Amino acid sequence: MSDRVFLQLENLTRLFAGTPAVRDLSVAIAEHEIVTLLGPSGCGKTTTLRMIAGFEQPDSGRVVLEGRDVTRLAPQKRGFGMVFQHYALFPHLSVGANVAFGLEASGFGKAEIAAKVERALERVRLPGTEQRSIGSLSGGQQQRVALARALAPEPRVLLLDEPLSNLDAALREQTRRELRSLVKEIGITTVYVTHDQEEAFDLSDRIAVMQAGRLNQLGPAEALYHRPATEFVATFLGRAGAVDARAQTPIDGESLRCRLPGDVVWSALSPASGASIEPGDGTRLRVRPEALRFAPPGSEGALSAKVADRRFAGSVYIYTVMVEGGELEVQAGADAARLGDAVGVAPRAAPDGIFAFPLRQPADA
Amino acid sequence: MITTATRRRRLSPRARILTLAVFALLLWAVVYPNLVVLVESVGGDSGITLRHYAEFFATPAELRALWSSVWISAATVLLSALIGIPLAFLFARFEFPGRRVLGALAAMPVLLPPLVGVIAILFLYGESGIATRTLQSALGLESPPWRMQGASAILAVHAYSMYVYFYLFALAGLARLDPAVHEAAASLGAGRFRTLTRVTLPLLTPTLAGAALLTFMTSMASFSAPYVLGGGFRVMTTQIFSSKLQGATSMAMVETVMLASVSLLVLWPLSRWEGSREYVAPGKGTRAPRLPVKSRWAVIGVPLIAAAGVAVLVLPHLTLLLVSFVPDGSWTTQTLPPQYSLENYAQLFTEARTLRPIVNSLLAASAATFAAVALAIAVGQLVVRWRVRGARVLEGLLAVPWALPGTVLAIALATTHSVSQPWAGRFVLVGSAWILVLAYTLRVLPLTGRAITAGFRQTDPSLEEAAATLGAGAWRTLRRVTIPGLLPAIAAGASLAFVTGLGEFVASIVLYTHRTRPISIEILSQLRDFDLGAAAAYGVLLMVIVALAFTLGQRWIQGGREQPL
Repeated sequence: MSDRVFLQLENLTRLFAGTPAVRDLSVAIAEHEIVTLLGPSGCGKTTTLRMIAGFEQPDSGRVVLEGRDVTRLAPQKRGFGMVFQHYALFPHLSVGANVAFGLEASGFGKAEIAAKVERALERVRLPGTEQRSIGSLSGGQQQRVALARALAPEPRVLLLDEPLSNLDAALREQTRRELRSLVKEIGITTVYVTHDQEEAFDLSDRIAVMQAGRLNQLGPAEALYHRPATEFVATFLGRAGAVDARAQTPIDGESLRCRLPGDVVWSALSPASGASIEPGDGTRLRVRPEALRFAPPGSEGALSAKVADRRFAGSVYIYTVMVEGGELEVQAGADAARLGDAVGVAPRAAPDGIFAFPLRQPADA
Repeated sequence: MITTATRRRRLSPRARILTLAVFALLLWAVVYPNLVVLVESVGGDSGITLRHYAEFFATPAELRALWSSVWISAATVLLSALIGIPLAFLFARFEFPGRRVLGALAAMPVLLPPLVGVIAILFLYGESGIATRTLQSALGLESPPWRMQGASAILAVHAYSMYVYFYLFALAGLARLDPAVHEAAASLGAGRFRTLTRVTLPLLTPTLAGAALLTFMTSMASFSAPYVLGGGFRVMTTQIFSSKLQGATSMAMVETVMLASVSLLVLWPLSRWEGSREYVAPGKGTRAPRLPVKSRWAVIGVPLIAAAGVAVLVLPHLTLLLVSFVPDGSWTTQTLPPQYSLENYAQLFTEARTLRPIVNSLLAASAATFAAVALAIAVGQLVVRWRVRGARVLEGLLAVPWALPGTVLAIALATTHSVSQPWAGRFVLVGSAWILVLAYTLRVLPLTGRAITAGFRQTDPSLEEAAATLGAGAWRTLRRVTIPGLLPAIAAGASLAFVTGLGEFVASIVLYTHRTRPISIEILSQLRDFDLGAAAAYGVLLMVIVALAFTLGQRWIQGGREQPL
């Protein structure tokens, strides 16, 4: 991955009937990079992708490719490949004709097209399927043909709109791996849209988390998980219980001390967004289950709690505990506590996995 | 994820010109002639006058004709519903031997163009019809047991030819219903009757309203049955025709305006009802299981009743076929025709005089089909894909001729295009074949337009977007992706247009000349000459072409779905 900016989204805003679907979104994507737009339905991620593709015109802002403004360029002139959610394969054309479609439009000769189609189909592990009809393919095969079709004309950017959402769980994971290695092998700059965090973690170099049309945070998966910029990011990526607290004193630029009910003091990471929490401010702590442990009630730093739920989660158990001013989750072993037990919960290695957020998010404007 | 097709796109200058051209063309063809009629209906020697309207309302015969049109249409809706809906339930919900074949045969009346249906029924149940004479001789009566004339005859023909709307609509509606709603009703303890009245029928209401609307409008516009069977009983369409024939031009204009107004008056509330609620089953694709008929009585009874019902529906077709083999003048007072030969068919294709109408109809129907399909594709692109300003108006313009009876349309065209005022968009088309082509195009435009715009709506716009990301321009996308995807809709729209044009009678009778006469007019004149065999042979020919067009259209519709290259 080079650091040179290849595709830049500058202050993109798109209004639908007066309400912004995307607000002031800026993302700089490097060459060969895979960036995922991640967020719940209606967060504006697909609209953003469609603005990159040219199907939507931003009300303000620009799409810049290699320093050239392509905002007003027609989709067919951008040279971007796209895989659609429902694949949008041409049902009246054979597999081969589908893959050849983009090559014909760019004026290659017959023999050259045939060779490129063959190679594109080999690349997605569907060699020799040129004559097959689209209807005779399984969902996974259709997805791969759609990918082959998008890649065959050697586009400069690959756009993927939830391409795995129509596959069943097992197939999705396998296809995800293949997709990543193929895209990495070709080295194509890719924008991927999904609402599935696991997909985003698995595929992306960087993830842009969107909520209500806004970019919440942009960064590698680990950074987003371990240092979420907003409460939304903390809860959307991974599990996080919540408890209300009051800010005491900053420890350093990174963390601060917070007082919890029962005069318990925990240290927590201060917001990565740069929002300031002043001493004495009310704050909400978001806590990862693996950042907590059970401790004897009343012991040092232990918050008194009552076990309300216990769930099996594969290798570990997740306990839901009620505390004053919130509800936390604790990851522990099978026999760590029983339902209804009065227990104490304490941080394992504060401030890791404990995030302080201002009680009120800065008002949307 | 919400597809974002609800927003308007910026149009290129070329697209704008196309939009304006389509708008202008539709306004000229669809709206303008009607305005001319409206203007002429208040035209007098000295400016605007309501004299003709006053005359209309002062003439009892006129008011009677208007009232007849309305009550006949209402009664037709009722009768058609009573036949069509139970039949649809029978074939959709029960499993019994012969269900498939009988179910398909139940739609047979569609194969008969309006005039052909009327003469087939005349041959069967008319005063000297086969069924009438059979009954008469069996009972030893002096005179025929009934006379196929007047309001009851018109109603019988209407019910016979229009119950199909209810049948097909209800069948389609039942197929679309999610079977889970019935299962849900049953799981909540509702019995069959309760499920029917509380769940099934309410869900079918919009569909049935659509059928009622179609039946009412078709009946208001009906000309063949009242013209041939009415006797002294006049409805508005025949009234207009006779005014025109007698040269009472102003009165014909007023009558035309009145018929159009009443039709629109009914159309408006009914179409709102139809559009108000649309229930679509989520795409699970499972069909409600048909109940096997179990009780011993029903095992024999249901197929028998179904078969008997279908026999009644198919008898006119068989009669037409039989009569088409009867040589000229050989069938007089016998119950069944005594002689049969292929003479009529041989004559049809060998004599220039009899071949001419066939050629005329084929040419005019083909031209109208082509024009309607092209126009519908243009409108579909503008309305569904580009979402141009005024899209709703544009789509409405396509549908306008549907609301106007064929007689109204024909009078409007004949009035508008009988003078040469090119600057006012009026050309002398009367007397040429072009006015028939124009009339046919307008008559088929609503159905063809609906089929094709629906096709546009059903095709996934992301196919076209995919083509764009692959570098295909507008023209290439249209040719390689849009039109191939639309083939089923085009096939449906075109076959409908073609069969309608081929058998067209209502507008033709106002607009034809001897040189341009279509098949339907020729059938009428053969009938007048008592050459029943020749008339029937034309009718059979139409029936066969209609059946062929539907079958081929159907093939093509299915072929378009999946076609490996």
